[in-house]
Amino acid sequence: MSALPDRSRGVIALIDDKCTSCMLCARECPSWCIHIDSHPETTVAPPGGRLRTEAVLDRFAIDWSLCMYCGICIEVCPFDALEWAPTHDYAEPDAGALLHERDRLADWLNPAQR
Amino acid sequence: MTESWSDAVAGGLGVEPVDEFGTLRADVAPDRWLGAVRAARDSLGCTFFDWLTAVDEPPDTLRLVCHLARPPRDGAPMRRLLLRTAVARAEPVLASVSDVFAGAGWHEREVREMFGVEFSPPTDASSADRLLLPAGFEGHPLRKDFVLASRVAAPWPGAKEPGESDALLASGLASGRAPRRRVRPPGVPAPGDWGPREPESP
Amino acid sequence: MTEPPVRVAEVSYGGTRWRVHDLALACCALEYAAATLRSPADRPVELGDVDLLAPAPDVADVLVVSGTVTDALAPAVLALWERLPEPRYVLSFGSCSNSGGPYWDSYCVTKGVDQVLPVDVYVPGCPPRPESLFDGLALLRRLAGAPA
Repeated sequence: MSALPDRSRGVIALIDDKCTSCMLCARECPSWCIHIDSHPETTVAPPGGRLRTEAVLDRFAIDWSLCMYCGICIEVCPFDALEWAPTHDYAEPDAGALLHERDRLADWLNPAQR
Repeated sequence: MTESWSDAVAGGLGVEPVDEFGTLRADVAPDRWLGAVRAARDSLGCTFFDWLTAVDEPPDTLRLVCHLARPPRDGAPMRRLLLRTAVARAEPVLASVSDVFAGAGWHEREVREMFGVEFSPPTDASSADRLLLPAGFEGHPLRKDFVLASRVAAPWPGAKEPGESDALLASGLASGRAPRRRVRPPGVPAPGDWGPREPESP
Repeated sequence: MTEPPVRVAEVSYGGTRWRVHDLALACCALEYAAATLRSPADRPVELGDVDLLAPAPDVADVLVVSGTVTDALAPAVLALWERLPEPRYVLSFGSCSNSGGPYWDSYCVTKGVDQVLPVDVYVPGCPPRPESLFDGLALLRRLAGAPA
């Protein structure tokens, strides 16, 4: 089959160690299809420093049955934690299976998926 | 010296048109609506009816807008005209122009369905039937007070703050940070302002 | 709908040439049309021999729903599906027919064609590429019992 054009939009992949649970993508998504859960963790203070609290990502899910592939989530992420991936083969017999959780979203950038 | 399009419109309709982004807009009183559309066709040569629609301008006004065009002729370019009038939301009735442009009948049916403007006489025998909306639909969807119920009912994924989860919100426990007003996306009314009464969820 | 959304065909695939009829409702129909322009050499092998241009539902095996289903149109969509002879399959193509898609909040949009018809395969995308249609049809053939 002929090669896909460069920058083809197939699916949106998550680089989850860059995500800070800032919630910007979930808030800007027009379809309300991004679901994020996180919890606060307090880091150990270095000598002379102060304690910091940060949000740690627990759940990151995208519902592809609602997504309109506009890419606003990718553009708005301040940490470049979301990226286009050209995969196009993820049809399902069950619409509920189109809700992809964190592990599956992180896997799209795996070369074996392409 | 040939007459400019603006002068022709002023002469033919009796109102001074306004140039809006390159298109002339003429506002007429509602009792002169039918006469103005007929004059545009007969005196100004606007024989092409493009569309007719409405704009809800709260609190009191429904604006009707009609786009007409005079086709190119004798080397003169096409000329466009936006004709507008306004009716009161409390009594939205306007003369139908389907005698002038038969095609306007469809557009008037759509405006009737979406905005609730009644055109007299009624456009055709089937004007009581639904055009685009399903049978039994209540309300006029393109009015600005028609709320998108789905967005009010569905929980907004962006309502959580960083460090919060659905489980935390459901448990009712404080997140450990100072409580803040729950963020809501623009345009979605607060649950207390619209919709069925239910206990405020944490 | 009270039927479960997953249907695995119990009828033997038989190896006959599948005929696919597209219900062209909105933007997704253009991607379906682009898919019909691909030569057989430019389709995946797993797709097998399919006719994407079945001219009417009465002579089709698969109904592809491409685009937004509105509440006013839903009875007509059901009536069209009822014309397909058994065994018949439905492929939902794109977000609008999967769930209502970006228009899930609309006052007039059916939230997924599976509110009206039993769907066998959901192809995600907005719109999905022709490659996604081929992948979805290949999946449907596997579910229907086509030899691997």
